[in-house]
Amino acid sequence: MTDTTPATPLDPLAPLGKIKEFNPTRQRIKKWLVFAVIGFALFYTLFPVYWLFLNSFKTRLDMFATPAIWLLDAPTLYNYVQTFVERPFLRFMFNSLVVAVGTTILALVFGTMAGFALARFDYPGRAKYHVSFWILSTRMMPPIVTIIPLFLFFAFVNLLNTKTALVIAYTGFNLPFVIWMMKGYFQELPRELEESAMVDGDTRLGAFIRVLIPLARPGLAATAIFTLILSWNEFLFALIITETQTSNTLPIGIAGRITQYKTEWGEISAAGFASCIPIIIFAFIVQKHLVRGLSFGAVKG
Amino acid sequence: MDDSASTATVGDTPAPSFIGERLERWVETHLRYIMLAPAVLILAALTLFPTFYMFTLSFQKFNPAVDVPNEWVGLGNFARLLTDEKFHNALGNTLFFTGAAVGIEFVLGLSFALLVDKYIRRLNFIKTILMLPMMLPPVAVAITWKLIYQPQFGVLNDFLFRLGLPTGVWTSGADSAMWAIIFVDIWEWTPFIFLMMLAGIASLPEEPYEAADLDGASAWQKFRDLTWPFLRPVVTIALLLRLMDALRLFDQVFILTRGGPASVTETLSLYIFRVALRFQDIGYAAAMSLFVLFSTIVLSTWFIRRMQMDDSKA
Repeated sequence: MTDTTPATPLDPLAPLGKIKEFNPTRQRIKKWLVFAVIGFALFYTLFPVYWLFLNSFKTRLDMFATPAIWLLDAPTLYNYVQTFVERPFLRFMFNSLVVAVGTTILALVFGTMAGFALARFDYPGRAKYHVSFWILSTRMMPPIVTIIPLFLFFAFVNLLNTKTALVIAYTGFNLPFVIWMMKGYFQELPRELEESAMVDGDTRLGAFIRVLIPLARPGLAATAIFTLILSWNEFLFALIITETQTSNTLPIGIAGRITQYKTEWGEISAAGFASCIPIIIFAFIVQKHLVRGLSFGAVKG
Repeated sequence: MDDSASTATVGDTPAPSFIGERLERWVETHLRYIMLAPAVLILAALTLFPTFYMFTLSFQKFNPAVDVPNEWVGLGNFARLLTDEKFHNALGNTLFFTGAAVGIEFVLGLSFALLVDKYIRRLNFIKTILMLPMMLPPVAVAITWKLIYQPQFGVLNDFLFRLGLPTGVWTSGADSAMWAIIFVDIWEWTPFIFLMMLAGIASLPEEPYEAADLDGASAWQKFRDLTWPFLRPVVTIALLLRLMDALRLFDQVFILTRGGPASVTETLSLYIFRVALRFQDIGYAAAMSLFVLFSTIVLSTWFIRRMQMDDSKA
């Protein structure tokens, strides 16, 4: 803004600046450029997923074919049968599901309570500020830092190789996220809602349960789905805590099929793609909340 | 803020039941602590306890595989950090990965957001597709790219071959392995930066731009003096989240290269994992973990400060 004398829009002869000039050719070129870039981005994003999908339906022969086969005319379910019937991947999937659902329930109950408390109550001094940021900072901690002591702890209380240990650990990982998300959603609801319920004779707790929770339902659902996704995807902790069929989650099962000597490409493609299916569905369910969820509620998208 | 007023309202209401009356009143007056307590206790148990335990372990020699009592070694484990070349290698790799991946993601994500902003704002469908990579299980992502990079039958070499370009060994080449991993991270996380920037751009006020147009400001001037300062809070959050994530990289490396070839892709998380689990050298792993924790805190504090300082300067 070097020009110190602004042109007055009232003067019809005053220059209106470069941007106001309309250049149809340039506009058209820009539009096509933008569409080309978006098209490329979509292709670039989806192609690897397509490649995984495609390979999970290839026979071993097709998979190793050169030149590579980009379109399949004889898809086979062999890999899926191998993975889910011959090998215990159905079991791993079930474990993943149990752990994800258990974690989501616990994290949501305690996280919603804390989120409500931080959104509505006052605490002595700057306690609220400090507690909020301490909660957020626990999420910033690299998991490798807490994993070794927790491993020793779970060994001590005999919870190694159990889904319970995973649920406990994942609840801790997800709580900060749930608290910050729910805090944000509650802050958006007007206080008058609970206050009028309390004037009508309800207690504060009653107002929270009967008035606020139903209103925060979309936020709760989105937060729940994010917690499900994070627990479903988690790898490092499960790798360290579990090594048996009854506790291994899906990612661990998949990783176990890759060894230095032999890799069952078809099987891991099938298992890998199967592990993506619920996530793809979830992503489209929560699309309106995605940016918010990915930024801990900091950006409202 | 008006909390005291509302508890007063509750006190005035006639109690609905007889036995629960005192309990209910107690719950009501202590509700602020009751609601917060479970979450705080769980988090303290799962973060404060391990950190403290880690701290004590870092001064000991402790190997759970052999049956000898823990031995106090003072600062011995920390002294090892200074001379352990594998640790220096892992630290260097982690920093290089973080700088390269987050830097490229930021430039690509921001440029893409500025370019397509007006065309994509209402297209939630496209945004959701772009977001898939970062939501998919990291293990599945790594498997996908393992398939793509595979030297003999991978689609990347197939594609290059069809174009008549030289092919490569990607994840098994000493020069290309780290870049192969960086590329996967770019695929996963550029959309995140893009969408955060898009959200930031969507909330920009219009008036200053109209004024700038009247003044005949160039596109670059508008970016430098309006868009960038307005976007800075979103940029801070986006980069901070990416930074934290990149510094803890584990899953993708574990599947794609296991740190190889010859530990050119070994990250700090992977090395600590190896020292603790494979070599059962818990004390030393604890010392390294503390180092990681400490540097993460320092780095993020420095980063937040810097972004705020720029803010006050502007």
